[in-house]
Amino acid sequence: MEPIIEMVGVEKDYASGPVVVRALIDAHITVNEGEFVAIVGPSGSGKSTLMNIIGCLDRPSRGTYRLAGYDVGSRSNNARAVLRNRLIGFVFQGFNLLPRTTALENVELPLVYRGQRAKHRRAHARAVLAQVGLADRVDHTPNQLSGGQQQRVAIARALVTDPPLLLADEPTGNLDTRTSDEILALLQRLNRERSLTIVLVTHESDVALCASRVITMRDGHVRSDVRQSSPRDAGEAAARAQSEPEPTSARPGGE
Amino acid sequence: MLATALSALRIAFRSVMRSKLRALLTILGILIGVAAVVIVTALGTGVQDKVVKSIQSLGSNTILIISRPAQRSGARGKAGVGGRMTEADGQAILREATSVAAVVPMVSAPAQVVFGDRNTSTAVIGTTRDYLKVRSYELERGEMWTETDERLKTKVCVMGATTAANLFGSVDPVGQIVRIGKYPFRVVGTLERKGQSLGGEDPDDRLLMPVGSFRARVLHLPAGRVWLLMASATDVDTTARAEAQIRAILLQRHNITDEDDPDFVIHTQAEFMQLQEQIFGTLQLLLVGIAVVSLVVGGIGVMNIMLVSVTERTREIGIRMAIGAREGDIMIQFLIEALVLCSLGGLSGTVVGLAAIQAMVVSLGWNMILPPQALIAALATSATIGVVFGFFPARRAARLDPIEALHHE
Repeated sequence: MEPIIEMVGVEKDYASGPVVVRALIDAHITVNEGEFVAIVGPSGSGKSTLMNIIGCLDRPSRGTYRLAGYDVGSRSNNARAVLRNRLIGFVFQGFNLLPRTTALENVELPLVYRGQRAKHRRAHARAVLAQVGLADRVDHTPNQLSGGQQQRVAIARALVTDPPLLLADEPTGNLDTRTSDEILALLQRLNRERSLTIVLVTHESDVALCASRVITMRDGHVRSDVRQSSPRDAGEAAARAQSEPEPTSARPGGE
Repeated sequence: MLATALSALRIAFRSVMRSKLRALLTILGILIGVAAVVIVTALGTGVQDKVVKSIQSLGSNTILIISRPAQRSGARGKAGVGGRMTEADGQAILREATSVAAVVPMVSAPAQVVFGDRNTSTAVIGTTRDYLKVRSYELERGEMWTETDERLKTKVCVMGATTAANLFGSVDPVGQIVRIGKYPFRVVGTLERKGQSLGGEDPDDRLLMPVGSFRARVLHLPAGRVWLLMASATDVDTTARAEAQIRAILLQRHNITDEDDPDFVIHTQAEFMQLQEQIFGTLQLLLVGIAVVSLVVGGIGVMNIMLVSVTERTREIGIRMAIGAREGDIMIQFLIEALVLCSLGGLSGTVVGLAAIQAMVVSLGWNMILPPQALIAALATSATIGVVFGFFPARRAARLDPIEALHHE
């Protein structure tokens, strides 16, 4: 097993006025290919900071972070933009799709920055949208899609570049339980079938239970790092919910 | 990079179309600037063209040689009145100066001209047949007097269009007899109207007669003496050489050793033309300057809108950066958007400018000429403004921190 994430003594400080906030302290984390890791912790525990560094959006103040063998800390903004494009698929809590832009165009976007031809981009984006079950929604704009569908578009956008790592920041935060389970089931399937490495940040224990490994953060430190031998099968939960009556709660961002 | 640019162009058009009113107002700013530049350029070029033409109609290769008393000896007289210049000087110049095509003598006096119960006061000019050639006049009716007339000092005259109209109205003047002082003169021809005048004098209000007749019947002057010789160079380009030749000949003929104190002054139309061009050039520069200022104001409008656009789309920029857009990609996206706005403004401004020029030419009868390079310059300028004023907002967008941009509400 190749390690995809290697963190050695990674720290991050923020200057907040005259006070220096130590957001991340002495993190040693190694994630191998094919793992499904959940990072949990209360707000302010440093999990967002950890997420930003893993996602190459930020650089560590100290320590070394290697992503798929590349030393991220020494790279310029543009070089990290290329790394993000090549190695990482992002899924966000707020979906972060471009408004007034069709699902297809949203999914195409990462390939635009790879300089691919429009014809290739479109074909590829269509194929990936079909894989997440949205073949019939390619020309819909985000406001015509439900929350779950929007998140599927976001996942398709993350997968279209075929990255070794999928980084999900509270991917179910805006979704109801049943849709959450569907999204988690999709992630579990991708992890199982493609041995896609997934790092997922959440504060919901239910969601964390779906991962094969749970890293708990508190006050900037890694508190615990536990492997779960039998993660919760979100697909099963979703299937069970299917047979129950439709939940009455409104879906945020719904049709 | 090409794929990115093309997609950026599509995004730019879509973003412009998204807020139509805003885009329209921004485009209007550029439109007004470009239209102003186009109109002002056409106006300036038209005026300049008219000036050059009217100078040319006076004969741009005309050289004036004005007699004056020698400066060193006694009291100075009025230029043109004293002096020793003669018709023989003119003949010598024509003979010896290779760059001179024609020389005519000129003496003149205001005089009352009477026909029947009408009379008019005009400038009576004594000269020779070549006057028409030197001053670029054309005969309208009748013909020029003959060499015999000159030799015999016949009482004949040729009239300018204004003078003829004042005296004769609709009657054909050719063959009629007019009275100047106590002498009757036969009108042998009339001149075609020139119409334009820069110095304020009417080139059509004059009466020409052989110089000998003038001396004998209008103003008694010593034989052969002239106040003014008018020469025309063989070509516009040889004017300067002709001037030098004339100077040398006259210095020699008048036995003047001090070149700085001659008893004549030489003026060329080139000097006059230069002065006119300078005046109109400055005027046009000023007008174009004002137009360019309005273009710059339009550019500031573009910059303003682009800054608003960047702020509004901060989250979008964050998303694009997260999925792999480099600073250059974001930069190009916003630069192209500014470029699209300005180019639309430039194109429509050109169309509006051309329409305005057409309208002015038709309704006001103004002489307006738009050089094609001005059109290209206007379009290029609007595109340049797009890049210049789009640069700062685009750079601001490109330098956003992806984390902050992603969490922007």
